Amino acid sequence: MFEIGKLCIKTAGRDAGKKAVVVSILDEKYVLIDGETRRRKCNIAHLEPLEGTVDIKKDASHEEISKAFDEIGLKARDVTPKEKKERPKKIKKEKEAAEPKEKKKPAKKSEEKKEVVKTETKKPVKKPKEKKEVKPKTKKEESKKK
Amino acid sequence: MPAPRLRSRSLRKIYVRTPGGRTIIHYRYKKPELAKCSSCGNPLKGVPNERPDKMRKLPKTKKRPSRPHPNLCSKCMRREIIREARKNV
Repeated sequence: MFEIGKLCIKTAGRDAGKKAVVVSILDEKYVLIDGETRRRKCNIAHLEPLEGTVDIKKDASHEEISKAFDEIGLKARDVTPKEKKERPKKIKKEKEAAEPKEKKKPAKKSEEKKEVVKTETKKPVKKPKEKKEVKPKTKKEESKKK
Repeated sequence: MPAPRLRSRSLRKIYVRTPGGRTIIHYRYKKPELAKCSSCGNPLKGVPNERPDKMRKLPKTKKRPSRPHPNLCSKCMRREIIREARKNV
């Protein structure tokens, strides 16, 4: 019933309802098909024969089948790999890159503050009065340096 | 007596035995009905039945089969495809 070049329609699985051609006969049960479906081994019970045949040699390549399909008026499956799309994550990176330029100045200030805080935290445990002395000292020093 | 908000038939009860030996009732929301084939009425396989908050979190590919006629069961779909194929012959 299923000879090489026989047109058929697949009735099971993700390729159900798509047309294909028998490319080679593997077994009493199984057949290799190609066409609108992906090129695959298929159980005969999952195929429904259609009227008509396609001129194909045994184990024909997908290109040959796609040419034969164009003559009938059908379109074989595209095997060409898809072009990779740019992910939207890249936009986020640009934003991050743009922001730190503005943030750089405040970041320095925060570092200075942190240093001050460290000096504060170490000393005030014993005497809180030194805290007040430490702050102005740093500011004066900075001003002197400038 | 359970709290008034739990005295509702939209909740199902689960009997839980505690370590102390008591049995308590836990309350959970019922699941919706199974999706059914629109031609024969049998439950569809590959379609989860969850509450809408969980269904929303699922990807689209996990909510329906990838074959054509996702509203039909596999037998009815096959019958439909074969019928269409034989019409033209």
